[in-house]
Amino acid sequence: MIALTLALRNLWKNRRRSLATLLAIGIGFAAVNLFAGYIANTYAGLRDSSIYGEGLGHLTIARKGYFANGSLQPERYILSPDDLTRLTRLLREDNRIEVVSPRLSASGLVSNGKLSTIFIAEGEDPALANRIWQHSNARFRLDPQKPAGGLVSKALAERLGVGPHGNLVTMASTLEGQINALDLDVLQVWDTGNAATNDKTLRLPLGYLQQLLDTEGASRVVVLLTPGSDADTLRSALQPRLRAAGFDMEIKTWVELSSYYRQVKRLFDLIFAFLFTIVFIVVLMSIINTLSMSVMERVREIGTLRALGMQRLAVIRIFATEGALLGIAGSLAGAVLTCTLIALIHFGHVTYTPPASSTPVPLSIAFLPGMLGITLVILAVIATLAACWPARRAARLEIVDALGHI
Amino acid sequence: MPLIETHELCKTYRLGEIEVPALRNISLRIEPGEFTALWGPSGSGKSTLLNLLGLIDTPSAGNIILNGRDTANMTDAARARLRNEGIGFIFQGFNLIPVLSALENVMLPLSIRGVSRTRAHCEADRRLAEVGLGKYTHHRPDQLSGGQRQRVAIARALVTNPLLIIADEPTANLDAATGLAVIEQMKALNHTLGVTFLFSTHDPRLLGHLQRIVRLSDGEILEDSMDALPNLSTTLPPSPTHTEGAAA
Repeated sequence: MIALTLALRNLWKNRRRSLATLLAIGIGFAAVNLFAGYIANTYAGLRDSSIYGEGLGHLTIARKGYFANGSLQPERYILSPDDLTRLTRLLREDNRIEVVSPRLSASGLVSNGKLSTIFIAEGEDPALANRIWQHSNARFRLDPQKPAGGLVSKALAERLGVGPHGNLVTMASTLEGQINALDLDVLQVWDTGNAATNDKTLRLPLGYLQQLLDTEGASRVVVLLTPGSDADTLRSALQPRLRAAGFDMEIKTWVELSSYYRQVKRLFDLIFAFLFTIVFIVVLMSIINTLSMSVMERVREIGTLRALGMQRLAVIRIFATEGALLGIAGSLAGAVLTCTLIALIHFGHVTYTPPASSTPVPLSIAFLPGMLGITLVILAVIATLAACWPARRAARLEIVDALGHI
Repeated sequence: MPLIETHELCKTYRLGEIEVPALRNISLRIEPGEFTALWGPSGSGKSTLLNLLGLIDTPSAGNIILNGRDTANMTDAARARLRNEGIGFIFQGFNLIPVLSALENVMLPLSIRGVSRTRAHCEADRRLAEVGLGKYTHHRPDQLSGGQRQRVAIARALVTNPLLIIADEPTANLDAATGLAVIEQMKALNHTLGVTFLFSTHDPRLLGHLQRIVRLSDGEILEDSMDALPNLSTTLPPSPTHTEGAAA
């Protein structure tokens, strides 16, 4: 109790210095939490974009070896219509699975009659693809009634000078190695949101692509889970069941397939660690500096307390309490600053263009109460530990020397 | 049993390569209830001896027996406990904690001991009333005069009912009248409570109020006189025009 009283009164006595330390902690706290909120939102956006927008689903199931060699020898890994029927039936038995969608990929040339350019295309069942897309903000849809109608990415459409209701020709090698070409009706133009894919992507009906590649099968099956289901858990459960049914399959989660998500996450995690380290050092140095000055000014007071019978540990406790109070108060100030800035950014409709993105997006920062709590605890602990260094020095002072200090 | 007994007590300070003896072979006995002054010029070893007897410093040689306990091999924690429970301190510069009120300053030794706040409050209130500061309980040290501060320090020294109160130049920072009043108060408390007072001074105006004078010079006891007032005129230095260390 005496430690708390002395700590509070001395912090108040040196309130200007305390305020400066408190602000340093508060700003550091807010920086960490704002960035954590920003990257949490970015991760959530990228996750939704990968699973629903890009159509990766939660799990992708293909023959063993497909993910390594499928693009070179697609014919080796094709799932026949019979395989697809059996596989779909087996997967549907699990009530955690919402959609089972066969997929086929292709690349080739797309032409408007005058100009040809490369494309990469994803073939999917229109009805199933639309069910996946409806979970996202995407406004584009395939039309089950139009087997030759596909979606063209924005930069590709601009390059070829087509828009909705336009016509193109796609050309690709069949699985047997023959050249094949088909007419394509442009249903919609959409922005992939990624500069790397926006000038070459087509989303086509599965039947169209099967006709282009001259096959009745699909290269893989994409699985969408019900909300709240965990992809890794389901993968572990599915592996033995597929093996028991005679399928030698490989299952990848959306994280494993989205290299862009992993790269962004790795980069942001690294920046976050760097930022947190800087805040950690700032807090540490601020507290050490503040309390070292406090110890210097209160040498006689420390000598008096020791002469009156205060134990060394109790002296340390006084300064550690001051450090902890600064850490907690600074963190609380930081929490208020974080909430204020999040509200300002939200209501100010701030936008920015992220790297590799083709359009500006709203700057959105998630409010993470758990992160606020964790940061508060960490900074309070750092502040307390930082206080222990000057506090130890104070406690080790010889009483006679301390009493004679001017 | 004497309250304090020292045998061949020595204290040497080291200044670089040079050893400076501050106390040489001090053997002293102080009985419970005594009102004793250590007398001597600056540098004679008064404060050093008080620091050793108050257990805030350790001797280079010799030993101190306090209330029958040999303090030689005590741990730092045990010495701190003994200081808190058995010794009250009055400092020349008052050494009150500036952020605490008079009452909280007096409560401090009890708070350190872990006494409940209610009991400490009650006891501190009583002690402040005893030294005539009942109306100043909520004043901070900087709102009190020098004499009032020293009386708060006296109340703080008394609050634990110690066996011994050690006062290092308690009147040095006070004017003559206030200094005398403080000594009178200490003497009255010595008389009424029976608490032993041991203090250092070189103020000749206090001579008429002393029961026992231990005269120190160059770290040695020159004279130890019980009721020795008649002889002091021959043994004490001439009265200074100002008190030493008063600037603090």
